[in-house]
Amino acid sequence: MDHASRLERILRGIAIAAMVLFFMFPIFWILLMSFQTNETILRNPPSMAFAPTLSNYAALLTGRLDTAAGTLDIDFMQNLKNSVILSVFSVAVALLLGVPAAYAFARHKFRGSEDIAFTLLSFRFAPPLLVVLPLALYFQDIGLADTYIGLIWVYQLICLPLILWIVRGYFEDISPDVEYAYRIAGHSWFATFRRIALPLAGPGIAAAGLLAFIFAWNNFVFALVLGSADKQPVTVGALAFVTASGIQYGQIAAAVVLSIAPTLALAIYAQRYLVEGLSLGAVKG
Amino acid sequence: MAVIELSDIVKRFKDATVLDGISLSADEGETLVLFGPSGAGKTVLLRLIAGVVEPDAGNVRLGGRDMRDVPPEARNVGMAFQNFALFPHMTAYDNIASPLAARRSAAERVREGVERVARLLKIDHVLHHSPRALSNGQKQRTALARALAGSPAVLLLDDPLRNVDAKLRFEMRLELPRLLAAERATTLYVTQDYREAMALGDRIAVMLRGRIAQLGTPEEIYLAPASLEIARLFGDPTINVLDVTPERDAEGPFVRLSRLRAPIDPGLDRAVGRPCALGLRPEAIRFVEAGQRGAIPVTIEAETPLNEKTVTLATTARGREILVSRPSGTSAPTEGLAHIAVDSAHALLFDRETGLRILPEGKRADVRGAAA
Amino acid sequence: MNEPLLVLERVDKVYDPDSAHPVRAVQGLDMRVHAGEIVALLGSSGCGKTSTLRMIAGFEEVTAGSIRLKGREIHRLAPARRGVAMAFEGYSLYPPLTVRENIAFALKSARLKREEVDRRVREIAHLLEIEDILERYPSSISGGQQQRASLGRALIRHADLHLLDEPMGQLEPQLRALLRGRIKHHVKERGLTAILVTHDQTEANALADRIAVMEGGVLQQFATPAALKEAPANLFTGTFIGEPPMNVFAAEARGGSGRLRLRLDHGSELDYPEDAFEAGVRARMLECRRIVLGVRPHAVSVAAEGHAGPLRARVTANQWLGDQTHIAAEFAGGLLVAVEHHRAAVRPGETIGIAFAADDLHVFDAESGAALSHGGRAA
Repeated sequence: MDHASRLERILRGIAIAAMVLFFMFPIFWILLMSFQTNETILRNPPSMAFAPTLSNYAALLTGRLDTAAGTLDIDFMQNLKNSVILSVFSVAVALLLGVPAAYAFARHKFRGSEDIAFTLLSFRFAPPLLVVLPLALYFQDIGLADTYIGLIWVYQLICLPLILWIVRGYFEDISPDVEYAYRIAGHSWFATFRRIALPLAGPGIAAAGLLAFIFAWNNFVFALVLGSADKQPVTVGALAFVTASGIQYGQIAAAVVLSIAPTLALAIYAQRYLVEGLSLGAVKG
Repeated sequence: MAVIELSDIVKRFKDATVLDGISLSADEGETLVLFGPSGAGKTVLLRLIAGVVEPDAGNVRLGGRDMRDVPPEARNVGMAFQNFALFPHMTAYDNIASPLAARRSAAERVREGVERVARLLKIDHVLHHSPRALSNGQKQRTALARALAGSPAVLLLDDPLRNVDAKLRFEMRLELPRLLAAERATTLYVTQDYREAMALGDRIAVMLRGRIAQLGTPEEIYLAPASLEIARLFGDPTINVLDVTPERDAEGPFVRLSRLRAPIDPGLDRAVGRPCALGLRPEAIRFVEAGQRGAIPVTIEAETPLNEKTVTLATTARGREILVSRPSGTSAPTEGLAHIAVDSAHALLFDRETGLRILPEGKRADVRGAAA
Repeated sequence: MNEPLLVLERVDKVYDPDSAHPVRAVQGLDMRVHAGEIVALLGSSGCGKTSTLRMIAGFEEVTAGSIRLKGREIHRLAPARRGVAMAFEGYSLYPPLTVRENIAFALKSARLKREEVDRRVREIAHLLEIEDILERYPSSISGGQQQRASLGRALIRHADLHLLDEPMGQLEPQLRALLRGRIKHHVKERGLTAILVTHDQTEANALADRIAVMEGGVLQQFATPAALKEAPANLFTGTFIGEPPMNVFAAEARGGSGRLRLRLDHGSELDYPEDAFEAGVRARMLECRRIVLGVRPHAVSVAAEGHAGPLRARVTANQWLGDQTHIAAEFAGGLLVAVEHHRAAVRPGETIGIAFAADDLHVFDAESGAALSHGGRAA
């Protein structure tokens, strides 16, 4: 019997409100900051009242940053473009490689398969700095330093294990009998993979791709070390606002808003995939 | 001609041997039932024939062709799974159409094929539903239709009635023979229900612990089980088992039931003095008037109706429990003291040590199989 | 006369009463259970049988109506104070206790003497054939054994009322008939009163003195197994009870010249002398226009063509099950099922003659489903 008392319901409401406030407040504050000048931001005590300005966004779009010390050229839009290119292609490559690999790990248990899968996952545990310095040296030698391909390659360290492990779970949840039934009906293993396994794991693949995209988008260290200014994503680009004449909080806030907007939109859009993916188990068989 | 031929099939998973030298063949159009408790290896055997599991040793031949390295899609078999295994993202129509679509048949031919089996199985009105919108019975029929749609030479049915309710299971059991006859497919049917096995099988292969313990017609298996274990698997209520030691006097061999002499087949003379188990089918025991020759006094403990039968639990003077079954509606004492008589011609004698049946001498050994 | 042990009066159970779709699980249930009786609540899933049991046990509140046990209103009492012992569906054994400790648990908390507890555990273990697993833990025994242990825990207590939820569903088939007999004997001998919930009519028939057939939250009929079979109150009970199920045909009745003719929808006609049916029954059948005829499978006479009667059917299956034969035949646009207690010689494809004696005929009103007559006598 789950008759919660009135008091219980009220307490639960308060707890949820507190949680939401705690997690949402920084985002809300950043949004406010992005419409303010540095002066109003640095007021003491801080206040919610200010005259909103679009100057921060204008500066980012035009690439000209006017500060007290003079005018500075920044290429934020190029950073944004880099982020999109790096994230999209990294996820695409990771899906292309990771989904078939996940299927293989899910369906064919061979000697050492578990070890290989775990080794791949362990790449996620290593601190990025551990691999990034040797990689920087290698990349110099083989000419991959400061190229999109080099970065996309390194980004596989982030995306591939994620996709492999999430999608493998989804493939394992599909009853092998369903695939056997399709094969016995006269279809090749590849047709079975394409028409049965892929569609049934579809929501899971979408969810994994999305997570990988967000992780790739938020990456900082690899791009900082392995890319130069014209290949760097927004996360690194935001550093440019730490200028000799002070930190440009207003522009940073605007840059943050612009850079989280795509991932936020994607996450909201993909929520239904995540839910669908989780309820897939209920229709098995 | 044998459509399915299995020879010396062995299959191991890790350290467990699930199939231990299975040889079996089924003729064209025959329905061969694989019967046995769970864990006997029935399902693995079916999967091996379908080609989704590879044997460790032995040989599968279908239609005279060696199936080594032949993938499942090229074996021309149809299979229905116990859990139905419908494609959840396709309609019932597309599920059933999948074997036809695989052959790249014209759309018109596919439609005809699907509608034919759908009519046969009475699911033509739900063809455009997705599996999750189907009732359990409809799912089961869709799975069966899918197995039949491609008109396969070999039909593998893995306990297809397990997950449907009793009424539907009964209906399907009566309908299936007509369906299978119409399709003319050679059928291997896996079940744990002895009624299904007897009702549907032209022959039954009783599987125990990865081996075929007995192979024969339903009649052979019910009336002449190779071992006590098999006898206990067929029949509801289960066969009565009494420990006896056959003796001999001037009139021939006999056993003592409640100190009364009950003659047994003279051919069982060699069992005299051996510890045996006497198997008595509940329907082979009758209630009789006191004083009749061979009447054994019993106390009636409880009467429990069972389908169209009435089952009585009675205990003998020595406290042995005996189940007696009779058609419902026939009269019999319902409580207190009563007398029963045993038709010892129907009694089965088993060696208590090995569990194997002791065959009367001078009769043809009508039981084949690995029991020997 | 004394009041029955358990009385349910106009009991309603409504789930989510405030929502847009309240679920009326039990509606206006009236039921009386006498001391020493075994009663089965029988129905398919969602029929309200489990809700009823849980209301008696106290795990579910009663929306309306009252429940009295030994003349005392109990439906507002906490479960522990009702004097009711319940065995749950599934096994629900305590995993950290051995089978013996599980079975003895209720007795120990009742502070019985140690020898008495041991004696009763031995007795019940012998009854259920679990003597050899008494010292094992639930996780190391099979499903069937767990169910037997759980049954033992329920049967060892001597409560005013025993409630058993699907008590035998997982039992090994080889033991079922024997244990049914033993349990029935055990309960009867001690004069215990038990209510069991089951979806399996074989189990209900075997164990119960009376069966309450439920459907859609409504009690359809509450009667002895024999009465349910011979005089079902309506078409639902008629077709629900019986394995194999009753054969039914839609028909129309016509009278005249001393005969009563029942015309089946697919052409065949049954022809009986008028006096095979009571006058009142005859009048009701003619008045109803649309009727449904029911014949139990064992009452169908099967013979060579032209022998049993004028009706013909084409055999589709003859299935011998060792002590019974099930015959299926195409008849009147459907499948007719006959049960014989010997081996029948008919083969699939053959045409046979069939007959139904007026004595075996159940007649229902097609519209309401209510029974009109059984064997020619008014229902």
